[in-house]
Amino acid sequence: MATPFTGPNADRTRRWLPLATLVILMVVVGVMQPTFLYPATLLQLASDTAVLFILAAGVTFVIMLGGIDLSLQSMASLASVVVALTVAQLGYGSFVLAIGIGAVAGLLSGLAHVKLKVPSFITTLAISGVLFSTALVISGERSITLGEADRNYQAWITGSFFGIPGVIIIGFVVFVLASVLQSRTPFGRYIAAIGAGEPAAYASGVRVSRYKVYAFILSSTLAALAGVVLAGRLASGSPTLAAEMLLPSIAAVVVGGTAITGGVGSIWQTLVGSLIISVVRIGMTFLGVNIFAQNIVFGTVLIVAVAITIDRSKIPIVK
Amino acid sequence: MSNATAAAVTVKPRPFAGLQRLAGWAPLAVLVLLCILIAVINPNFLSFGNVVRISQSAMVPMVLGIGATLIILMGSVDLSVEGVLTLAAVLLSMLVLNGANANELGLFAVVIVLAVGAGVGCINGMINVYLKVPSFMATLGTWFIGVGVGNALLGGMAIRINDPLIRGLAIDRFLGFPWGVWVAVLCVIIALAIQNYTRLGRHIYALGGGEELAALSGISVAKVRIAAFTLAGVFYAVGGILASAQLGLGNAQIGSGRLFTTITAVVVGGTSLSGGRGGILQTVVGVLIVVVLTNGMVLVGVEPSVQIGVQGVMIITAVALSINRKLMKIVK
Repeated sequence: MATPFTGPNADRTRRWLPLATLVILMVVVGVMQPTFLYPATLLQLASDTAVLFILAAGVTFVIMLGGIDLSLQSMASLASVVVALTVAQLGYGSFVLAIGIGAVAGLLSGLAHVKLKVPSFITTLAISGVLFSTALVISGERSITLGEADRNYQAWITGSFFGIPGVIIIGFVVFVLASVLQSRTPFGRYIAAIGAGEPAAYASGVRVSRYKVYAFILSSTLAALAGVVLAGRLASGSPTLAAEMLLPSIAAVVVGGTAITGGVGSIWQTLVGSLIISVVRIGMTFLGVNIFAQNIVFGTVLIVAVAITIDRSKIPIVK
Repeated sequence: MSNATAAAVTVKPRPFAGLQRLAGWAPLAVLVLLCILIAVINPNFLSFGNVVRISQSAMVPMVLGIGATLIILMGSVDLSVEGVLTLAAVLLSMLVLNGANANELGLFAVVIVLAVGAGVGCINGMINVYLKVPSFMATLGTWFIGVGVGNALLGGMAIRINDPLIRGLAIDRFLGFPWGVWVAVLCVIIALAIQNYTRLGRHIYALGGGEELAALSGISVAKVRIAAFTLAGVFYAVGGILASAQLGLGNAQIGSGRLFTTITAVVVGGTSLSGGRGGILQTVVGVLIVVVLTNGMVLVGVEPSVQIGVQGVMIITAVALSINRKLMKIVK
């Protein structure tokens, strides 16, 4: 079947399409609301994008493998609950604990996926249930507000350094580290190789299972970090704090141009994708679209982006 | 994938065929054991009142499970369960006699809601077939679109349903069971008839067993897929009607958590995620396992929030036990 975005120039078009979309969207929103392009507003945009980007950066590695992580919103929520419950006793240790739980959850997802050969969407859906349940139980099914004294520990998130908000710096550090991992290390190359063709990667001696597990650990750890940051920004933790973030995160990755068939994509593209999602969200808020109804747009965007980026030669049978 | 199908075609009778047949009965054995165990701990489990209670909590998961089974049998998956259910429940509450507007369409509203369910299912199928988007991604999108439309229509409110016909599904009884339970039983019978006695049913199995082979033998894969997704959408809409009848209202949170129970029930019943094996009866057993376990945990005094976690562990265990690893070279 003939589809658009095939042919000799398709790859180049695909690579630049997301960035072009972002620029056009920013101009459109800027015309609608001129204050949008003021430095203060752009800084606010970057702050709002940081959490989404951290989530999306983690799941980028899993999607590049050709897998998916549907547990990131539950992991982020659980991390926020862990921070809210333990920051009074553990101080900065609560962040380490929350992020450590993220790593363990990712390890469990990865092992269940690789050792039991359970498809990743079902593994992570199930792990998501376990994490959500844990968050419900330890929080007593309620939202926990951080005390005044505990908020001092959140200064690295809520404060600013030389005029730049802490969240942007955290997001930037994640961007640099994830970019280096993805483009400058064997890990990044193996992930892309496994996504591009698993049997070939296996045959050339790549330890496929091991790198898959690493990717799931990375995804879950970054999700936990996102939860920690979110807890700091909202000064609370709750089992549903990040419930609405799954769809935007996956949409951000796919809109940036990372194909769900694996092998193609980069952290840089995920950053562009995250910014697109944020700008669309701000645009919709200007137009007065209800925050939950915005999922109608993100759901549609997700399907369209997947349809454009997917590599159909890799899936002769679409299940 | 093509290697896997080729292997499936040339597969020889396995030495453990008897064991495999035995494994097919495992879910039923689990269900029976579970019932005995809970009845021993708390004899109230077998009282008529509790059996009715179990049937009430099983009716919505049953209808949803039936729909999802049709899709999973093809080797696809449908994550839009909550989206369609929410949309159906919200629309129904707005169209029948209710506490928010002057509509009073009665039975006609039910027809509209079923048609909307069919429409969303059909869109799922068309995205899957014509845009060649894998079903889990297509239905992930429509899941959130459905819930989003529900939210946009209600804006966070809940609408009380005052229509006696809809309320009667949960309140009025026949032979001691609410009418909603009988609707679910009727759905099981209809689905069994479709699965066993129609061409669509046989073609769904054929697609799950090996799509290339099915296409080569002249089955119109596109038509079967779209029909199956459409049918599943209708069943989810029935689930939405029953769920809103049970709560007596429609709101945008009515679907929350139901996808999870549905997938658990289908895979615990023994329908294979890789397609071709399992069926409606297996899902009936799976739904009963999930519901009986929940009911038992309540009787024993386990917190409801723990149950989601238990279901998560059940999903992984059931899928891990049922996957035929010989046929799966690459697991994504």
